[in-house]
Amino acid sequence: MVSLAVRVGGINLENPAILASGILDENGYTMKRVLEEGAGAVVTKSIGVDERNGYYPPVVVEGNSYLINAMGLPNPGIENYGEEIKIASNGRKPIIGSIFASGVDDFLRLGTSMEDFGVSAVELNLSCPHVRGFGSEVGSDPVLVRDIVKTLKGSLKIPVWSKLSPNVSSILDIAEAAVESDALVLINTVRAMAIDAETRMPVLSNAYGGMSGEAIKPVGLRCVYEVKKELNVDIIGVGGISNYTDALEYIMAGASSFQIGTAVIKSGRGVFKKITEDLEVYMNNNSIERLSQLVGVAIR
Amino acid sequence: MINHLKIERKEVNTPTVSSLYFRWDRKVKPGQFVMVWVPGFGEVPMSISSIGDLKCITVKAYGDSTRKLIRLKEGDFIHLRGPYGRPFSEPEGDILLIGGGSGMASLRTLIGPRATGIIASRTSDELLFSEEFEKEKRIEVTEDGIRGLKGLVLMGLDQVNVEDYSCIYVCGPEKMLKAVYERIRGHKVRAEFSLERSMKCGIGICDSCSINGYQVCVDGPTFSIEELGEMTEFGTTKLLSSGRRVQI
Ligand SMILES: Cc1cc2nc3c(=O)[nH]c(=O)nc-3n(C[C@H](O)[C@H](O)[C@H](O)COP(=O)(O)O)c2cc1C
Ligand code: FES
Repeated sequence: MVSLAVRVGGINLENPAILASGILDENGYTMKRVLEEGAGAVVTKSIGVDERNGYYPPVVVEGNSYLINAMGLPNPGIENYGEEIKIASNGRKPIIGSIFASGVDDFLRLGTSMEDFGVSAVELNLSCPHVRGFGSEVGSDPVLVRDIVKTLKGSLKIPVWSKLSPNVSSILDIAEAAVESDALVLINTVRAMAIDAETRMPVLSNAYGGMSGEAIKPVGLRCVYEVKKELNVDIIGVGGISNYTDALEYIMAGASSFQIGTAVIKSGRGVFKKITEDLEVYMNNNSIERLSQLVGVAIR
Repeated sequence: MINHLKIERKEVNTPTVSSLYFRWDRKVKPGQFVMVWVPGFGEVPMSISSIGDLKCITVKAYGDSTRKLIRLKEGDFIHLRGPYGRPFSEPEGDILLIGGGSGMASLRTLIGPRATGIIASRTSDELLFSEEFEKEKRIEVTEDGIRGLKGLVLMGLDQVNVEDYSCIYVCGPEKMLKAVYERIRGHKVRAEFSLERSMKCGIGICDSCSINGYQVCVDGPTFSIEELGEMTEFGTTKLLSSGRRVQI
C-alpha cells in the first residue's frame, strides 16, 4: 500500500509537503486554511523577541521565474504570537515555530515560548539574508551556530530544525556545525537585488533582498546533495519547488521531506494538495510504497 | 513587471483627493487594483477608478507616498504593477452603489444610467464622484449635514428599498461595511463588498492582507455577502503591519 506519510526531523507527517516560513503564515487563520487545504505541516513566519513592522513596501519584486523579497522580518513579537498558533492549531496538523535572534540567550527564550505554545518543533532561522544582525549574519559563524544548536537541543523537549543559508562559502562547514539538529532545512533565499532602469533606482526599499522561486532550485538541489553526501542527518528541501518532479529531485538529492513557498503565487494554496496527489500517482506507477525508498538515490 | 506611465490629465476632486489619468493598454475590470510605486517613498495599493481608454487612480493624501503622488503634474510619470484582484461581478439591471469616503473610487467604474448612489462622507467637501450619478439617483449623506442628509450611511439606505436592485456594491471603511452588511443581510438581494487590509505584496504570498485564511489581494478585494457571513474577522479584528492582532 502506497503511503505518503513520512517521519522527518523527529515528527510524523501525514504528507511531506510543508508550507515554508514567511509565506501565508502571519495570520493563524491562514495557516489553518493551508493545513485544511492539504499541506502536511506549516512553518510559522520567523518570530523574534520584539515587535517589528518590517521594511516599507516595495518588499517584493516579481520576475518570470523568481521572486525577490525584503520583508524585513515583520512579526508581532513572541508574546503576541501565541494567539495565532492557537487559531492555527485547529488545523490539527503539525505547526513548526520559526524563530530568529542575534544570540544564544534570545534563541533559547524564543524556543521555550514556542514549546509552551504547543508547536511540534522549532525551526531556527539562521539564514534570512536581508536584516542586519540576524539570520545569515548569525548563521555564517560556525562557532555561534554550534553553540545555539547545542543549547536548544539541551534545553527543549521538542525537536530542533536549523534552516541554513546558501550565501556562505561552504554550506558543509555550517551544516557540520548544526549537525546535532533533528533536521537541516535547506535552503533560505539567495541574496539578490533588482534595479529599475527607468527611475535608476533599486526597487526594494531595502535595496537588497532574497531570491526564491523556480530559478533557485539548482542551488537548493546542490546544497541538499552536498550535505547529504557527507552527513548523516535528516534534510528538508526547499527552494523553487512548484511541481511533483521538483519535489522528487530534492528527495533523490537527499531530502526526506520538502517545503513550498513562492509557488503559491502561481498555483495558489492548492499547490500542496496538487503535488501530493501527483506524487501518489508517481509512486503507484513506479511501485514505490514509501518516499523514504527514494531519499538520496541520486547521490554518487 | 513595473509599468511606467505618463500622466495625461489630472483632476482635483476634493480638497484632499485628486485623480491621475494615464494611458495603459491593459484590460482592467471594475473593483481591481494596482500597486503604485513612489520611488524613494513607498508602494501603495490603489483602486482603478476609470477603465476606458484612459485609466485612472484616485489618490487621497494620507501618508508620505500618497502626499507625494498627489503633487504630481500632467506629464510626470507614475510607476505601477497589476492589475490585481478579483473584480466585482458584471452589473445587470438596476444597481445600488454605496461608497463611504474615498471608497467611491473603486465603485466609480460601475456608475451608469441604471446606478443609484449613496455617497457618504464626513464633511460635505469630501463627497466623491457624486455628480457622476444621474441627478435623481444621488443620495448624499454627510456628518456635517451641509450637503445632503445629515448622519451616517444607514440614513441613505433608509431612502431606498434594497430589494429593488439586482445587486448592491459597497466600499468604504470596514466599520461602515459591517453596518451595511448587518442592515441588508436577510433581504433578498445580492451584495458585494470591497475590503481593505494592510497590503504589502499584492500577489498572495506575504499574508499581511488576510482575513480568515483568504488573501484580500487575490481572493478579494471583492467578497459576496455570503462569503463575508463566514468570516469571523470581518468587522472585528485585523493585523497591523507587524502582524499584531488588533480590534477594528
Ligand atoms: C515573502 C517571503 C518571506 C519569507 N520569509 C521568511 C522567514 O520569515 N523566515 C525564513 O526562514 N524564510 C523566509 N523565506 C524563505 C522561504 O521560507 C524559503 O526558504 C525560500 O523562499 C525558498 O523557497 P521557495 O522557492 O519555495 O519560495 C521567505 C520567502 C519569501 C518569498
Ligand atoms: S498583500 Fe501579501 S498576501 Fe495579500
